[in-house]
Amino acid sequence: MTAFATGTVGDLLHVVWSSILASVVVSVLFAGAVVGLIRAGELRRSNRGGSATAYAAASVVALALCLAAVVYGVILVSQKS
Amino acid sequence: MSVDIILVIVVATALAFDFTNGFHDTANVVATSISTRAIGPRRAIAIASALNFVGAFVSLKVADTVGKGFVDTHAVTSTVVYAGLIGAITWNLMTWYVGLPSSSSHALIGGLVGSVIAAKGWSAASGSGILDKLVIPAVVAPLVAFGAAWLAVSVVYRIVRSVRPGGVSRGFKLGQVVSGGLLALSHGTNDAQKTMGLITLALVASGKLSAARFHVPTWVVIAAATAISLGTFTGGWRIIKTMGTKIISMDPAQGFVAQTAGAAVILAASSGGYPLSTTHVISGGITGAGAGKRLSAVRWGVAGEIVTAWVLTLPCAAAVAAVVYAILRLFGPGDAGPIVLTVVLVIGLIAVFLRARGARGHGPVPTAVDPSLGTTQG
Repeated sequence: MTAFATGTVGDLLHVVWSSILASVVVSVLFAGAVVGLIRAGELRRSNRGGSATAYAAASVVALALCLAAVVYGVILVSQKS
Repeated sequence: MSVDIILVIVVATALAFDFTNGFHDTANVVATSISTRAIGPRRAIAIASALNFVGAFVSLKVADTVGKGFVDTHAVTSTVVYAGLIGAITWNLMTWYVGLPSSSSHALIGGLVGSVIAAKGWSAASGSGILDKLVIPAVVAPLVAFGAAWLAVSVVYRIVRSVRPGGVSRGFKLGQVVSGGLLALSHGTNDAQKTMGLITLALVASGKLSAARFHVPTWVVIAAATAISLGTFTGGWRIIKTMGTKIISMDPAQGFVAQTAGAAVILAASSGGYPLSTTHVISGGITGAGAGKRLSAVRWGVAGEIVTAWVLTLPCAAAVAAVVYAILRLFGPGDAGPIVLTVVLVIGLIAVFLRARGARGHGPVPTAVDPSLGTTQG
């Protein structure tokens, strides 16, 4: 019980919070990228080029951050082995 | 020389177990992508198979835990590992036959623990290791996947509610190609490792490796990765034929979130060296994504199956492995026991296979399975 109370609780809590954080961050960033792309398309069709470009750029940034988070997570796992 | 024969049998049996693990779990990894039509079955299975292989190389911490976290490595012999494997396989076949839910991963570790206790007594098993690294994570991980998916899908729906649903669906279908791949990769980081740990333990027991410097040899990594990858590929073709009616009903956003949550939990657990039932985690993610949209859409029977598997698998697989070890002891300390038992098992499996083929020729063929709810789970 003592052994569990010290190191293992910390390790397990690390797994818990990191997996919840990763799930939410990746999902939210991807949802942001999808919404940005849809908005950009709608604005382009209504001839609002400036806003469309801003949404498209935000979408690309969100997508890049999402992919970066995934790659970072996999690298972290591989480095811990 | 006699030990080498047992070692060869142990390695072959462990790789066969790994193959069946991949075979069973293909459905869990690809079902969500296929059900939302994010990707075609053939392509999904090919990608899952390849990424399962790659995932086996990403982390070896779970293999370390299986190899030295649950039992005293000095108490293990090749016969103990063999009895553990046969105990796990027998338990999986028994539960499959009577339709009880089980977990291949827990059966494997339960089998190892049961056979080492039968061989050397209770002191040879690490109670704290089993509790800390297996039992508590087994309960926590599916709940975390459920909570993460529920939270993520709730936030995602708020973000996308103001735009066209058609565009959202198309976007998340594309995302599922990546999230499905990530899930397959994470599956390789956890499930393939269990076989690696067991084979390495057998190598240590037979004196081929030093217990002081426990490490997984490269050939073991390649062999286990290949076995699970081939199992995934082979299992997939069967699922293409049978998948159809009882598939999970979810939209692409839910599918993306369920896969992302499942992959995140499995990857985080792999980095901590926790061997999980990947099926339970994926089921937790799918259930959480369903609950995030509509609570009544959740199939709570899945949760009941997981709880049953938690309670039954570990002690029952341990008991079966202890009986197998006792039977092997009747043949003496040499390799006669494992050889006789392997021959009997192979003959039995061929008989079951031929009988199943005969029955198929005379009766109706079962045409639909629920890929998310295989009774033997990884």
